[in-house]
Amino acid sequence: MYKGTSASAGIGIGKVVKIEEVELVVHANHVSDPAAEIERFKGALSQTMEDTQRLADDLAKRVGEKEAEIMQGHLMLMSDPMITGEIESTITRDSICCDYAIETVFNLYADMFAAMDDELMQQRATDMKDIKVRIQSVLQGAKAVDISSLPAGSVIIAKDLTPSMTAGINPANVTGIVTELGGKTSHSAILARALEIPAVVALTDFMSKVSDGDSIVLDGATGEVIVNADEAVLKEYTAKKEKFLEEKRELQKYIGKPTITKDDVHVELVANIGRPEDVEKVLEYDGEGVGLFRTEFLFMDRDSMPTEEEQFEAYKKVAVALSGKPVIIRTLDIGGDKEIPYMGLQKDENPFLGYRAIRFCLDRKDDVYRPQLRALLRASAFGNIKIMIPLVISIDEYREAKALIEEIKLELQEKNITYNKEIQVGIMVETAAASLIADIFAKEADFFSIGTNDLTQYTLCVDRGNDKISHLYSTFNPAVLRSIKRIITCAREAGIMVGMCGEAASDPMMIPLLLAFGLNEFSMSASAILSSRKMITNYSTEELQAVADKALSFATTKEVEDYMREFISQ
Amino acid sequence: MVNDKIVIRNLAGLHLKPAGILCQAAMPYKSMISLRIGHRTVNAKSVLGLLGACVKCGDEVEFICEGVDEQEALSAMLKVVKDGLGE
Repeated sequence: MYKGTSASAGIGIGKVVKIEEVELVVHANHVSDPAAEIERFKGALSQTMEDTQRLADDLAKRVGEKEAEIMQGHLMLMSDPMITGEIESTITRDSICCDYAIETVFNLYADMFAAMDDELMQQRATDMKDIKVRIQSVLQGAKAVDISSLPAGSVIIAKDLTPSMTAGINPANVTGIVTELGGKTSHSAILARALEIPAVVALTDFMSKVSDGDSIVLDGATGEVIVNADEAVLKEYTAKKEKFLEEKRELQKYIGKPTITKDDVHVELVANIGRPEDVEKVLEYDGEGVGLFRTEFLFMDRDSMPTEEEQFEAYKKVAVALSGKPVIIRTLDIGGDKEIPYMGLQKDENPFLGYRAIRFCLDRKDDVYRPQLRALLRASAFGNIKIMIPLVISIDEYREAKALIEEIKLELQEKNITYNKEIQVGIMVETAAASLIADIFAKEADFFSIGTNDLTQYTLCVDRGNDKISHLYSTFNPAVLRSIKRIITCAREAGIMVGMCGEAASDPMMIPLLLAFGLNEFSMSASAILSSRKMITNYSTEELQAVADKALSFATTKEVEDYMREFISQ
Repeated sequence: MVNDKIVIRNLAGLHLKPAGILCQAAMPYKSMISLRIGHRTVNAKSVLGLLGACVKCGDEVEFICEGVDEQEALSAMLKVVKDGLGE
């Protein structure tokens, strides 16, 4: 059993087809007619560009516009005057064959990209090498293995899959991919996912461990690869594969379906996102909106404060992409635990209980909070944005933030800048304090979202990351359960929306309880949405009341967990 | 010669796609179009040049245009950046 990096989920079962790197012979051959050599280069370049355009068109048709963009990018690089100019001047200056000139120039740029510390830039190195090999192959008449005509049940093994190779893959014949290099975000991984072909990458030296025709099994989700497995193992994986495909088909049925329980209770099923790019997945998995948009990404990995404009663009992007579906945006939640040099923060002795989130923001209204709130209000004109305040422990904090928002609203009004006058301002309920005075908050906040991860840690005084005590962390602890119930009850009594954005919202053992308690909105990772919808639509909140009462009657975490585990297994 | 500054607001900076769009916008003009960031100046008509400049979100860059159609070229550069470079 080998273990690589998971790149594309699914089980691949088939026979090994090794794709060796094209054998190219590149010598520094002298040429007597540089002008003719340049023509030879131009011819090969033009041929390569034609082939690439064809690949791009094919990809656009078979997979999607976005995937075809990778090939478009190649075309741009191939027609770049810096490259073609340098190759031509090298040929002229050194009277050298174009194969060699191409080799040196492309390698130069590949190395330049590989040396940059930006992941996207590093991937350009692969692009340069891919293009180089393709032009040289045309020059030398070398034929790459025709990937599009492989026999059915082929599992491709290669050192690295270049974008052009991946583009030629026919999912009808290729049941899996394993590469020695690459990562989760490399082109080949992205394309494999788009083509829905199971793939494992970064399995060092794997080429030397297999031969053509070997039987092979791979689990794209775990990164496991087994060569020449015996009958029993093959059977096991075939069953796993069936199950995976079956579940996938099952869940597809839930796309477009409303999230209504058997007794007609509507709940909202939305997603947690950390970056605007994540919205794509939310729409793919039929999320009904965003229940938590974390804004910290805007402030991290940079050396200056994000401007109001930058923030506005990011918030607007998400609001527009979700076209009217609600997006709850949480204001900045960072503090002494993160490395943010330009904020001028001292490292907190005790970051979890420290100078962060709302307490930090209210202290830095002018340079931190105002710009963020202004950006949010301006973006609210473009979609259904709701503002959420993290880590509150007293109603004063909420009132102060709300007052600041009202001030900003007046400023915007004076300048005739549009914003949503009815914008909702709610709170993350994630501290023991907020839970205990939920009734006080419910009178003034427009909505609640329960952050179970932190709520559990703060209520139980447990740091999940501490190995010695992480076993004490459980959202099923009676103290936490009671908190959750209380928070939901207070919200319902005050008539405000209550959602949950912690992991518990997608926990199959917790969902029945949340439905019984009356949770209105479930926010989770996009990939959990369809299975949660399936679960929710198969329950009746009325029938679940007895289950919830029983769960709340237990004195120990173990009893609650055992009971819920038993209940859902039926 | 004309020049002007503008801030790049694309979230992932000037990576392949926006660089390609900027490049395509620059190509039609006869003028020389350069992009300056910090101490580096690169040819805006070269995707590689643009990528090599490693422009990140929030960076302020300067467009320098020189030639018969330098005014139009500069306006075009500023506009294509303001319009989001395809993002």
